Order: sequence, then structure tokens, then C-alpha cells
Amino acid sequence: MEVQKEAQRIMTMSVWKMYHSRMQRGGLRLHRSLQLSLVMRNARDLYLSAKLEEEDEMAAGVGPGEDFAGRQPQLDLQAPSPPHLEGARAPERLPQAPLEASLLSPQPLETPPLPSPSASPEPEPMETQEEPSSSPAPPQSRTSWSRGASGPPPGATKPSRKRRSSSLGKIGAAEAGLVPSKKAKLVEEEGERQPQRQEGPFPSLARVLQDRFSGLILPPQAAKGSEEPKASCRQGDGVLSIMVRAVVAF
Amino acid sequence: MCKRTKEDVCVTKTFRHRTRKRKKAIADIISTVEFNHTGELLATGDKGGRVVIFQREQESKNQPHRRGEYNVYSTFQSHEPEFDYLKSLEIEEKINKIRWLPQQNAAYFLLSTNDKTVKLWKVSERDKRPEGYNLKDEDGRLRDPSTITTLRVPVLRPMDLMVEATPRRVFANAHTYHINSISVNSDYETYMSADDLRINLWNFEIINQSFNIVDIKPANMEELTEVITAAEFHPHHCNTFVYSSSKGTIRLCDMRASALCDKHSKFFEEPEDPSNRSFFSEIISSISDVKFSHSGRYIMTRDYLTVKVWDLNMENRPIETYQVHDYLRSKLCSLYENDCIFDKFECVWNGSDSVIMTGSYNNFFRMFDRNTKRDVTLEASRENSKPRAILKPRKVCVGGKRRKDEISVDSLDFSKKILHTAWHPSENIIAVAATNNLYIFQDKVN
Repeated sequence: MEVQKEAQRIMTMSVWKMYHSRMQRGGLRLHRSLQLSLVMRNARDLYLSAKLEEEDEMAAGVGPGEDFAGRQPQLDLQAPSPPHLEGARAPERLPQAPLEASLLSPQPLETPPLPSPSASPEPEPMETQEEPSSSPAPPQSRTSWSRGASGPPPGATKPSRKRRSSSLGKIGAAEAGLVPSKKAKLVEEEGERQPQRQEGPFPSLARVLQDRFSGLILPPQAAKGSEEPKASCRQGDGVLSIMVRAVVAF
Repeated sequence: MCKRTKEDVCVTKTFRHRTRKRKKAIADIISTVEFNHTGELLATGDKGGRVVIFQREQESKNQPHRRGEYNVYSTFQSHEPEFDYLKSLEIEEKINKIRWLPQQNAAYFLLSTNDKTVKLWKVSERDKRPEGYNLKDEDGRLRDPSTITTLRVPVLRPMDLMVEATPRRVFANAHTYHINSISVNSDYETYMSADDLRINLWNFEIINQSFNIVDIKPANMEELTEVITAAEFHPHHCNTFVYSSSKGTIRLCDMRASALCDKHSKFFEEPEDPSNRSFFSEIISSISDVKFSHSGRYIMTRDYLTVKVWDLNMENRPIETYQVHDYLRSKLCSLYENDCIFDKFECVWNGSDSVIMTGSYNNFFRMFDRNTKRDVTLEASRENSKPRAILKPRKVCVGGKRRKDEISVDSLDFSKKILHTAWHPSENIIAVAATNNLYIFQDKVN
């Protein structure tokens, strides 16, 4: 619990630092932003691993999560987990919140993002549903996905999502910046886990922070003991949304 | 030779950058210090965009105790605040780096840079002025040509020495990100400027274009994992340069290999010590400064806690590692909270490459003798820096019983930091910038 609190504190601090760095003279510093994102990522990993350990202990009295066994093929995607993840199995067993599954690995080029076992039923139907709409999508992306390879190749089309135009299926469309990034908005509209894609720390952290910590930036008396903070505080949401934009727009 | 273990370092002079209102303004904070190639001149840049040049006095037999003191030679405004209307961003006037060109005539030339623009300045002396113009009088006002009845030849007459600085070149609009380094090539015709993601090669004579020689910007910025933190040309080989990264790596590139040096010739990286692994490991491994030795055989890098010396012929690990303030390793969380963990310390070689120096907190700076393996901690403070006073070595108490003259880690003042230092190219004279104060120390004459 202490570890979780400390990790939360550092994450909150990092978000504020990121926000304030935009206000300083000279504009956002790339190096500083990168360093802050690294700390946020580490804090996130620490928080999640501590949370999972705690939930494991709680679930140990209920029973092992056998329903996650079927997700092994997708879990293999994240086999080359980053070294700083404490507890290799921790990311494999992210529970209910689909947003947690949107947390990505820190080395997006080398290591694949972290899938959520609980949300894994959704990616499969999503892939099925989007197949017709993403007809231009090259087959190797789906193939590599289903094979559990270490993420799609850099030049391959990212798995298409809902509400995306067909131009997404074109190779390099995303990389060429032809498609505007709507990650934060997609999270708000869909409210479910986004399919894995090779993303850097910023968008994933933006989503995480927006959905996980909007309830944390509250007056002390609000939502103090809540395990699942909800975005109920308008002021906090407003501030956090600004921070999220600061991270994503960078 | 400055003896590290004895109090042989004495204070020569202390300068304070001061605004007209005599308040400790942020604009007065010194942001860079650099000796020229002979050591005759010392340039400082501050956050207000000003450059102050100090000149060493000629040694006088009449006043031997004033051996080679530095006095203010020239002051000029190098950069002004600008505004990028397209991005709605203010461009700071802070001088990030100053680099001198070797002197080739009576004038001095230096490069100064802020986040976006590099300028070449000519600093020259004028001790004569022309008098006797026909079309204007002595005040400079134009005369009515109809009133001129005779012609005269203007003559040069002596005047009080005036040092004037004129911008000869302005190298602008070539960097999207913030410039962190400039380095003059040994061919003295080109120089490079490095920002977070790119390095450009310039010719001094051409201001409207530059060659991009390094570009690490990923196609998708979301995949960014490291940035360039410092870059420098080899002191003798005009085709070779190095650049450091935020991941603690150094890349040596050869411009003869290809036009775009994205592929390095050598890659210097030390495997991480698992026992030192911590939450902030990635931040503190970022290299803040890289310097070639004068010989060109070694490079020195500074990260947050250490200084490392690398042999160009060995890429897998440094040959020497010096702990600057290892007692801060357990304080990283606090240092993250107060932003000190992001401080970028510089490091310098002495003229013979036998001693290296770098700054720390509480206005401490450290020297390491590579031969004797001795080190010393000194403090730059006004209380301890009376002229010709001998500096007393300081010591930080890391635990246990604190001695009388030691200072505990918790008592360190992290607002007083020495980020910028310079060492005279041939003598044991050092310049240390502490916030808005410049300290000049040298060996004591016995």
C-alpha cells in the first residue's frame, strides 16, 4: 500500500511537472519531457505491480484466476518485458479496468504493449468487426498479432480500431501523420481498451492519467479511500485534461 | 601544479553579474563560462542574453602581486528574447554556450547561442578615431554642402580605448528543438550546432544553409526514446565528432563515412550495474556534458552522479569513473521533487589532461587528479573568497559522526549549484560560476 501511494504521488508530481514545464519560458523542453515520462512510466509500473500483488493476495483467498489462462497466446506478445518491470508476471494479470490494458511497454519498438487478460475478449471481436472496414490492412499485422510475435513490424499498419477511417489501413498512414491522433477522445468515447499499437509513453500515459488519476487530483476529502477513483471532480478533470493534452500534443 | 591535498588554491577575483537595480535577478545567473585558446580572455554568458568578456592583465614587475588578474573587457547584449508566432512560444535569450574561435588577427571572434540562434561576434579594439570629415562635423551631424568652402583630409587621432562587439553572422532558423551545444571544428572553417534531435554543420561564411549530419528524430515522435544532450568535435581530426545521449551513451561519428552520420563509427556504453538500479536510474544516467581531452585520445562524460573518462579505443566501459556526490544516490526522490535531478553539470579538463573538474551543490566543486587518484572538494562562496585567500578543502559527512569542519548531506544547499566551470588552457587558473557570481581561482605563488 505504501508503495502504491508513493507511486501515485510520484505520478501526480510528474504530471504537474509536465504541466508546468509547458508554462515556462522557452516552451516545452523535449529532454525534460522525456525524463518526466520515464519517471511516470516507472511509477506506473511500480503502482500496477504493487496493486496486482495486493490483489493477488486478496484473490488468493478467492481462487486463482484460471480464466486468464486462455490469454497466454496474447501474453506471449509481451514476453520481452522491460527490465524495470518489477514482477514479470504482474503485467500479465491486469484485472478489470480495460484502460489498464492500454498501458504500454516502455520500449515500444522492442517490446510489445501489455494486453489485458480481462479485456482480451474484446480485442478479438474488435478485430473481427473491423476486418471488413480495414480491408486495406495488410495481413501481416494480423498475422503477427495472432502469432504472438513481438509486436507488429515498425512499418506495418497498426491494428485498426473502431471509428477509424479506411485510410488507416494504408501502410504508413499513421506514421506519415496523415491521420490525426485521437487517442484521448477515443478513450472517452469508447471507454474500453484500445488495441495494442506501437506507441511511445505519451499517449498511453495520457489515457492512464486521464482515467485513473482524474479522481486523485481532488480536494483531500474527496474519494480518499476509493480503490477506483472516478472522474467525478470537474475541476480535477479540467486540470488533468489540460495535462493530458500537454502530454499528447507534445 | 595545483596540489590537491594542500591549500594551494587561492582566490584571485570574484565578479558578480548585477543588474542596474542591484537585485538578484534571474537574468544575472551565469549560464556558460569559456576561456579562449590562449587563456587571455574569459567569456561568460548569462540568462539575460548578455556576454561579459574578461581580459587578463599583463603581468607587471611593479605590481607582482597582481599577476594576471582578470578585469572586465567588454560587455554586450548577444541575444534578445524573441517570440515564435507560429508556435506561440517565447524563445529565451539565455546564452547556452559560448565557443571561441582561434585568434587570427587583432580581433577576437566567438560564437554564442541561445535555444534557436547562433551568432558570430567580432570583438575588436578601437583606440583611434577619424577626425576632420568634410560632410559632417565632430558631433556627427551632417553639414550643409553649400557651406563647405574647403576640403580637408580626415586624420586618425588617438582616443580612449574602446572595445566594441559587432555581430558578424547570424545563423538562424535551423533548429526546431533547443540548441544544447556548439563546437568549432579544428579546420576553423566549420562548426556544428546540436539540438535535442539533430546536429547541423555550418560554414562560418554561409548563414542561410547548414548541413544536417545527425538526425535521430523518429518518424513517429511517440517512439522517441532518447535525445542528444551534448556534442563536440575532435580537437585535431576535423572529420570526427562525438555526441552524447540521454540514455548515457556516446556515439563517435566520422563524417567521411557518409553525409548523414546517423550510423555511428563507435558506440560507447557501460552496462548498468544492477546493484545501482533504482527508480530514477534512467534519469541520472543521462549525460549532461561530453568533452574531448586536449590530446584527443580520451573523452570525458558527466552524468548526474559521476564523471567518466573513456578511451576512444575501448567502447564497452570507461577507463575511469569518479563519484562526484554519491551521497545523493539515496536522495534521488527528494531531488526529483525539487527538480535538482534535472540539473546539467559540465566538466572540464585541465591543460595537461591530468586533472578533471566538475561542479556540485552547496557551491562545491570537485577536482580529480587522474594520476594520483586524489580528489578535493572546494567551495566557491563570498565568505571564503577574500582576495588571495587560500581555499580550504571541504568534506561532506555521509553518515556517522560529523566532524567539526564537515557538512552533513542534509545541510547542503541545493539552490547553490555550480553547473559551469572552465579551466585555463595552459595554466592552473579556473573560473567557477556560482549563480550570478564568477569566481576565479589560481595556484598560489609561493
